[in-house]
Amino acid sequence: MITPIKALRKNRFKTALIFISMSVSIAAIFLISAISGGVVSMYSSMLKTDGDIIVTQKGIADTFFSDINRSVTVTISKIEGVKEVSGLILGAAPVDPLPIVGIYGVSENRFKSYSLIQGAYPAAGEVMLGSKIYETLKHPETISLSKKEFRVSGAFKSRIGFEDGGVVMGMDDAGEVFHKSASIFLLSLNDLSKSDAIIAEINRINPEMEAKTTDGFIDSYNQFKIIKTSSDVIGAMAFLMGILGIVSMMSMVVNDRKGEFGIMRSIGLSSTTIILKLLSETLIIAVIAYTVALGASLGILELIEHADKFQGYINGEITVTLMINVFMVSVSMALVGTLLPAIYASRIDPMSLIQRGGA
Amino acid sequence: MRIEALGVEHFYGHEKVLNGVDIVIEPGSFTAIIGESGSGKTTLLSILSTLLQPSVGSVRYDGKILSELGNIDHFRRAHIGFVFQFHYLISYLSLRENIALAALDPTLIDPLMENLGIERLGKRYSDEVSGGERQRAAIARALINRPSVVFADEPTGNLDTKNALGVYELFKSFSKEGTGFVVASHDKKIADYADIIIEMEDGIVKKIHK
Ligand SMILES: Nc1ncnc2c1ncn2[C@@H]1O[C@H](COP(=O)(O)OP(=O)(O)O)[C@@H](O)[C@H]1O
Ligand SMILES: [Mg+2]
Repeated sequence: MITPIKALRKNRFKTALIFISMSVSIAAIFLISAISGGVVSMYSSMLKTDGDIIVTQKGIADTFFSDINRSVTVTISKIEGVKEVSGLILGAAPVDPLPIVGIYGVSENRFKSYSLIQGAYPAAGEVMLGSKIYETLKHPETISLSKKEFRVSGAFKSRIGFEDGGVVMGMDDAGEVFHKSASIFLLSLNDLSKSDAIIAEINRINPEMEAKTTDGFIDSYNQFKIIKTSSDVIGAMAFLMGILGIVSMMSMVVNDRKGEFGIMRSIGLSSTTIILKLLSETLIIAVIAYTVALGASLGILELIEHADKFQGYINGEITVTLMINVFMVSVSMALVGTLLPAIYASRIDPMSLIQRGGA
Repeated sequence: MRIEALGVEHFYGHEKVLNGVDIVIEPGSFTAIIGESGSGKTTLLSILSTLLQPSVGSVRYDGKILSELGNIDHFRRAHIGFVFQFHYLISYLSLRENIALAALDPTLIDPLMENLGIERLGKRYSDEVSGGERQRAAIARALINRPSVVFADEPTGNLDTKNALGVYELFKSFSKEGTGFVVASHDKKIADYADIIIEMEDGIVKKIHK
């Protein structure tokens, strides 16, 4: 282990360049995955709050477009095994002076999922604000939404960034603002094992509607797939950039150290030994770059989370799974990027050490 | 190890630089290859030492040709040492670590360094010692696995006369203990130390002195 560290220290400048290029790529992978994962997980946990089953308009691409009739909740709530049905209207609108804010119309029975930090739950003509927007707007008495004034009844705290930066109001008011009866219903069940039967029952009641388990919905939700795919594509590009950085720097390193590898070949060290030597050097850089990138990413996410500008909407999560995955990615980045230059190094002909021509 | 070159010719492109060389290097002998610049010393040495394949003819090591020797890395490590004009010590390793990199038996390192008079320089790096000391460390690296034969191309090309003669002395004393040396050099003074002198001219062996 000592030898590769000595080699790295000797080639300090190029080691630093490889380290920087790896750290930037790894941090980019961390951030894009954490942020997209955060969006998905925030939205998922919102739907999963008292939502074992979700009901939407059939075939919609985005819950924002979903429009279903609220009166059906009465019928649904009578199905055996259903504990509670809540309605939600999901929308977004400008709230002076903010250009766009998430608006959540929720049925009264869902208010209890918001923990109040100030005032009371909203009555008709009133709204309650998430703590983030409450602070941003400096504890307003009223807000203006869709050309109407709403009194602010109170403020709540939610660990879901979307909600914390959003406005919650009753279903009737939200229905008027967004011209719909309901976007989705969320059902909590007494007995999860009955969910298939309940789903079948709901789908029978109204063919315009579609019920799914919330987990199933999240898995198949197109918007999440788009977010995930885009983040994978950007992550893959960062990975490629990282590899290219390593390949080009390592090629220069190998070129600088031709004599060293030639002499290793001449004293009979095998090609494999030389390849392993170079791989262990970049692996050491990779591990350090990974650690630094992880720290930097956590710091950046913390900054973003508390930046007023983002209203808590960007809420990156670095889960243990993500850490492990990115670690694997970092290691493979180092290995793949080093392999070609290392193979080249292992094939340097000791003949090149003998001066041609000369005396 | 007895090395035998039979009808060796070598071309670089269309240029023929070795024109039929037949020589035998006896085990443990100190052989000097001398001649003018361009006479083919380096090419011959490279061919004898497994680094270069001759265009025509063959080289046998105790009767075996290269392809019969098995893994070439193992063969070099066990039987052959190299010393080049430049020391090629690895700059981020100490002199002792440079020697240890090649060593199959680490217990031999310290006695050998003592033998070469560099025992006190083990912790130094190549840029912290003199040219003569560097070349001694490179020679130690070549000798560490007790090779049958050490090949050296212009090993004194970068040394002053005093250090150069010191290197020839070393070769001579190690060859008395059984290590063969094949040294290509344009320095005629090597003739005073070698057992056999092969004189090259224009790609052929002009004369062999004993
Ligand atoms: N790699 C090479 N490619 C082409 N010509 C070479 C090469 N190496 C040596 N030569 C030529 O071969 C001839 C013999 O060179 P060399 O064996 O190095 O002789 P010496 O070591 O006696 O100076 C010279 O004319 C030299 O220019
Ligand atoms: Mg030469």
